[in-house]
Amino acid sequence: MNKIQLIDTLPNVFLSRSDIMSDIWQQKVTFEKGGLYLVEANSGTGKSSLCSYIFGYRHDYQGQILFDGEDISQYAVGKWTEIRKRHIALLWQELRLFPELTAWENVQIKNKLTGFQKKKQIEEWFEMLGITDKQDAKVGRMSFGQQQRVALIRALCQPFDFLFVDEPISHLDDTNSEIMGRIMTAEAKRQGAGIIATSIGKHMELPYEQVFKL
Amino acid sequence: MNLVWKLLRQHISIPQFVGFFFANLVGVAIILLGVQFYNDYKALDSEDSFMKADYLIINKKIGALSGLTGAQSTFSQTDIDNLAAEDFVERMGAFTPSSFNVRARFNVEGFVSFSTEMFFESVPDDFVDVESDAWHYREGSSDIPIILPKNYLDLYNFGYAQGKGLPKLSEGILGAMKLQIQIEGNGGHGDFDGRIVGFSSRLNTILVPEQFMQWANQQYANGDEAKEPTRLIVEVNNPTDERITSYLQAHDYETDEDKLDASKTTYILRIIVSIVMAVGIVISILSIYILMLSVFLLVQKNSTKLENLLLIGYSPTKVSFPYQALTVGLNALVLLLAVAVMLVVRSIYLEMFQNFFPDLEVPGILPTLCVGVLLLVMVSIFNIIAVYGKVMSIWKRKD
Repeated sequence: MNKIQLIDTLPNVFLSRSDIMSDIWQQKVTFEKGGLYLVEANSGTGKSSLCSYIFGYRHDYQGQILFDGEDISQYAVGKWTEIRKRHIALLWQELRLFPELTAWENVQIKNKLTGFQKKKQIEEWFEMLGITDKQDAKVGRMSFGQQQRVALIRALCQPFDFLFVDEPISHLDDTNSEIMGRIMTAEAKRQGAGIIATSIGKHMELPYEQVFKL
Repeated sequence: MNLVWKLLRQHISIPQFVGFFFANLVGVAIILLGVQFYNDYKALDSEDSFMKADYLIINKKIGALSGLTGAQSTFSQTDIDNLAAEDFVERMGAFTPSSFNVRARFNVEGFVSFSTEMFFESVPDDFVDVESDAWHYREGSSDIPIILPKNYLDLYNFGYAQGKGLPKLSEGILGAMKLQIQIEGNGGHGDFDGRIVGFSSRLNTILVPEQFMQWANQQYANGDEAKEPTRLIVEVNNPTDERITSYLQAHDYETDEDKLDASKTTYILRIIVSIVMAVGIVISILSIYILMLSVFLLVQKNSTKLENLLLIGYSPTKVSFPYQALTVGLNALVLLLAVAVMLVVRSIYLEMFQNFFPDLEVPGILPTLCVGVLLLVMVSIFNIIAVYGKVMSIWKRKD
């Protein structure tokens, strides 16, 4: 997948509003594979909705979203599964980890599905993010900042054309967010993929090509 | 898949599954036992493999005076038409007696030798349940298939042979031997080989194929008095029907009460088995309902996990699999145990059967197993579809 386009897209909940001033909603927006984008938003402007639409999780919008020119509203279940497994990786704001499983198992449950990353690589990321000692701890017992790092590693355990990270560093210190930025960009570069990051304030310092105000 | 299972087995309620397991076990065991018992009983009942069940043989009562007064003991065409018009009659046929002299000789070198005057009768061939090849007479052939009353064999084995110290004869041995038959009448005579195709406990007569009878009656009949039948064979749709008894009484007809009773027993037994099986089916359906409820509850309790699995790229098919495997596995286990229960109970009642019928040949359990597997397949398909549907509702919830 090389291109994600939004054409006059607008969440249904905003239909009644006439004061939409946004670089994304009701505009023509294109995300190119290989690009690095930042979407800055105030809360309540539909940041998470955007991620949900592009991930096929929600469909409550007007207008069109196109992947390589194909309208995604017609995609079948199998197609979405394929996209989630091979084309778009998403780090959810609410992480969506499994608290009953350990950090390592949370990553493995994804990597076993895709068989994409080597064990060594995953261990290296745990090491870089300083949570090696938490590998065998239940995720439910970890702090939100630690969980964010686990969720990032899980998101990287798949081939992708685009990596969406929804407020990835909201609970991280600057050092960790810098390391996270490095890991993300390195992996995206290796795969030739694009990155779309969102934030409501603090954001990773990366050489963004385009910044959208939601 | 292990990690997925580790996730999805959370919230599994063991008591609910145990409850389902035993309820369904009872249901399936009852169904299988019903099928098996009915099959086994049929083997008992159809000792007489030459006459299909539910046939009555009817004759007119012979009173003390009828011989003197010359009252008719035969059925006139009017009698036959009236009976055929009754609702309870499915179809009927007449016994055709032979109008010639028959002499049979039975000879085993060194052992037995006897000869006797006898007679033949025939009924329409479709009342006789023998392969049509075996029950067939070709004109000009000297080979006549014959069905003898079982009583004859018993008389010989338990009376004659016992008294004279002669060997007892089984049905099989007799089937391989020939009766030498001599027919005489109308100035002609012929020699034939009687081939015993079986023994009937339902028919007290010596039966030959209808074709032979027609041919022989033409050939050897003494005079051409029109013969009216003295006995009728009637297939009834429901042997317990009160109207049969009252009709027979009203017309002074007789039937072998035993046979009517036996047919009644079979009929009632069939109803009882049907009721018992219906109960088994109801129990099974209810237990499967419990299973589905508890699986649905499980899906509901684990809906966040299921949703997250779907969102990290697991397909609904993959996510459904653990629960589908769980239900199908449980059903299979239930079937295995139910078969075991069925076998145990069967061994108990077969022992009782065998006390009465020592050389009883019981059918196998294959038909019952087929019923069980068929049930398993049907229920499993239903479960698989239901679980998948539930997972898909999680997929679609955010629409």
